[in-house]
This record gives sequence, C-alpha cells and structure tokens, in this order.
Amino acid sequence: MRAQPLGDSAITIMLGTERSAELLNHVHAAAATLAAERLAEVQDIVPAYLGVAVFYDALHTSYSEMAPRLLAVCERATASTAVSDKNREHEIRVTYDGSDLVQVSVSSGLSVDEVIARHSSRSYTVDLLGFVPGFAYLSELDSALQLPRRSQPRPRVPAGSVAIAGAQTAVYPLDTPGGWHIIGRTDRVMFDPLREPPALLRAGDIVRFVPTP
Amino acid sequence: MITVTRAPPYLTVQDTGRKHSRSSGVPRGGAMDLFALQVLNAIVGNALDSAALEWALGGGTVRFQGDCVFAIGGARARATLAGRGIPSFTTCHARAGDELTVEQLIAGRFLYIAFGGGIEVPQILGSRSTYLPGRFGGYNGRMIAHNDSLPLGAHPHSTPAEGFTCPPELLPRYESAAVRITRGPHADLFDEAPWHTLTETEFTVSTASDRTGYKLKGSALSDSVGNLPSDASCQGAIQIPGDGTPIVLMADAPTVGGYPKIAVVAEADLPILAQRSPGEVVRFQLVTIEQSQRALKRCASDLHTIRATGAASA
Repeated sequence: MRAQPLGDSAITIMLGTERSAELLNHVHAAAATLAAERLAEVQDIVPAYLGVAVFYDALHTSYSEMAPRLLAVCERATASTAVSDKNREHEIRVTYDGSDLVQVSVSSGLSVDEVIARHSSRSYTVDLLGFVPGFAYLSELDSALQLPRRSQPRPRVPAGSVAIAGAQTAVYPLDTPGGWHIIGRTDRVMFDPLREPPALLRAGDIVRFVPTP
Repeated sequence: MITVTRAPPYLTVQDTGRKHSRSSGVPRGGAMDLFALQVLNAIVGNALDSAALEWALGGGTVRFQGDCVFAIGGARARATLAGRGIPSFTTCHARAGDELTVEQLIAGRFLYIAFGGGIEVPQILGSRSTYLPGRFGGYNGRMIAHNDSLPLGAHPHSTPAEGFTCPPELLPRYESAAVRITRGPHADLFDEAPWHTLTETEFTVSTASDRTGYKLKGSALSDSVGNLPSDASCQGAIQIPGDGTPIVLMADAPTVGGYPKIAVVAEADLPILAQRSPGEVVRFQLVTIEQSQRALKRCASDLHTIRATGAASA
C-alpha cells in the first residue's frame, strides 16, 4: 500500500497492482471507511480498480500531513474482512430490445433468449463510476457474452440504454456518445443532478437486471 | 438582473465548481481560469466562489437592468461601458440601462465578468457551474444565448471604490513561459527519455482543446505505457495516450480515466495554461509537491490581499 500525490488537492492510495475482485473489495472497504471517518479536510473520495483517490482542501493541510493519516485509515479498513455483506442491492427492470441484441446473438452463437437469460441471471458488482456522471461499470459479464467494443462508436446513445462490452455491462445515464453493444433499455433514472447523491449506483453496490416483457 | 443582448459564440455561468460529487462520476467543472474568477469576485466585493460569466470566442453585449458593480478580466479584451473603454481587473460601476460591450478578445481564451452579488442561478450539487456535457447547472444547463436574462444576488454590503484596480504584482502571470508540474501517479512508468521530452522541449496547444482537455503538439513521448486500469483523474492531469502526445485535462476532466498520468499541472499555474490559445507555446517545469502546494497557498493569500486592499478602498 502506498500513497502518491494526484496534483495539489488529491492523494491516490494504491492498494495493489493487479485488477481482481478481491482487490476491488478492499478498495470499496477503504472508500467506505474513509467516508465514515468524515475527516474535515476531505472533500471527495473516488474508488477505482487499484486504489482510492481522496480529494482534500490543500489550503488547510498538505500532502505530507494527509498521506500518513489516509494510509492508516486504509490499512485499518483492509485489515478487517467481511464488509461485502453490507453492500446495497438494486433491481433494474430491462426491456431487452436493444439495437445490437441480434448482433450480440450472432457474435456469441447464442439465441436471443439465451443472451437475455445469461445477462439477467446473475448479479453484478459496481466496479467504479466514471466516463460520464452516473455511469457505473458492472462486473462480471457471462464469458459467452464478452465482445470487444463496437468498431464504430455511436455519436449518441440514449439515456437508459443497457449495454455490454468486454467483461462489463452498464446503463447509460445520459445521452452520450458510446461504443458498447446496446441490448436493452430501462426507465430507471441512473443519474439526476437534483438528487443527492445524484447517481443511483455507488461503487460496491450489487445490481440485478430483471427482464420485462 | 442583466440581459445578454448579443451573445458571443461561447458564454456560460461558472463558479469554483463541484467538489463533493466525484464519487457519482460528476467532474468538478467550474471556471477554466479559477484565479481570474476569484480575483474578479474580490474586486466586486463578492464571496470568492460566486458565479460569474465565462466568455470566449468573440464579442457581445450585456445590458444592465439595474445599477451594478462589475469587473472584467482573464483574457485581455477591448471592452466599453456606455461607449467608454474600461480596464481589466478594475471595479466598474454601471447604471441601469448601461450596456457593456466586449468588442474583441485580444489575448487569452476565457474572459470573466463578475457582477456584484454574483449570478444567482440555482445551485446544483453545490455549484452554479454549467456542465454542458451533462446539460445541467448554470443557465438551464446550456450556453447563454441572445436575450437571455440572468438574475443577480443581493448587492454586497461593501464594494471597493469605483476604479479600484488589483495591484499588478498580484495579477496572474499569463505571460510566464513555464507551467509548473508535479510527478503524477504513473510518473515511475516513464523513464528518462520521455521525462526529458516533457520538461525540456516546447509544446504548443492544439486546436483539439476545450473545457475537457487541451491536446498538445510537440515531440511524442517515447515509451508510451498503453492503457491502465482506470483510476481517478483530476484537473491538470497530463495523460499520455498511445500516440505519445500529452493531453492536459482541464475543468471538465472526467473523474476517472485509463491513460497513464505522468504529471499534474500545479493548480497555481493551471490558469496560465487555460488561457493559452491554439498555436501558443507551453513549457513544463517539474517541481515538488511541497513547492506546488506552497504556490497554491500563495495564490490564496494573494486573493486575501486583493480583497483586503479593495475593502480598504471602499
């Protein structure tokens, strides 16, 4: 575990060097413990694959003051186990009629019904949020459904589109450009700037997709 | 209240940004030149984080519906109030019906106009900043267009005297050749040659530059590391994509990204870079995190000095 500056107002605490589900659990535990500490100087906590970044008020403290404090919290958080049972769970209803559904069926060699069954029969973990506000990367997709991104990204993917790429699936929270394969859509509002927090999902949450006719 | 009777091609409301929503994937956003924004707020007697206009790419006109204190600064501009030229970083008093016309931006990219009381659009996630990609914040989440009217907050209790000018030695040093940087989270993945390219050669700002990031032109950094597992990003992060040409992430930087971040621009110097136009040169100078944070604290104390000097002139 080591701390590094990420500019003047953030510190990245690296918890490991290789992506794994176990490391992500540690990252989410560290992020939750850091949040629970409610340190006065801390403004934001951003978990990712290998570590967690903490944004702080650099006018009232410094890197050399904050780094050891944050490292101590993260050491404590990852030493204890069994945090995963506190994760929040979400069910997201999906109409599987996406414009790439047939192509995914062809590429994977599975029937459309089988694609839907495999996508909706497991629970996913929110790895991290990013790309655009409210965009949650969910793992891990059934290996038969894992395809590279589209060679031509779409200039506009409508909000609510349920999509897959690589080992991950996601719901587009806003109308944005996107290169993932769209297999369905949901009415759930994934991101609402008037809500606190604005994103429906949080890193570490569990998500299940439920097919609707 | 003010009305934009002729809008430039780019005009938004910005303040100091959203500092508490990154875990939801919301970029900090806010003014590209945070220092100019805060100096101008000090000059009109506002809280430093009040919302102002961020203006670029051309001229335009603002009409004052009531008496108002305001100031312009950041990019150098030729501007008039009721037909008379006005200086930058100086307290100006407008009367109801007066028109402020920005004829032309002469140097720099982003002009700021702060108004006594600040622009009172609704706060969203703790900020009045416009986030155009997400279509929220600022004026209905969009650019300000012809004939849009913006409400102003209650006039500050005390404002600097008309003609108060920011002491020149405290103004941003836009002409400064070097932009300071600190080692980024992936600094160790780059050996001597790419570091030499980054710190000993000149880059120019390319036309592929906007509020999200400035792509630079110059020698490519050898030994590009390729993509990494996504991790947290920040304003000023210098990321090196596969082709080896640096991209500096700016105000609307995404919260996470997968390109290696070799270095991060010192917050004190980010305004200098933000004001560089396409084709203009930038040089990077490596400093320690202690030096960089000291420079940031120095900016904050300069802002307090400007505020105190202005208040004493009232």
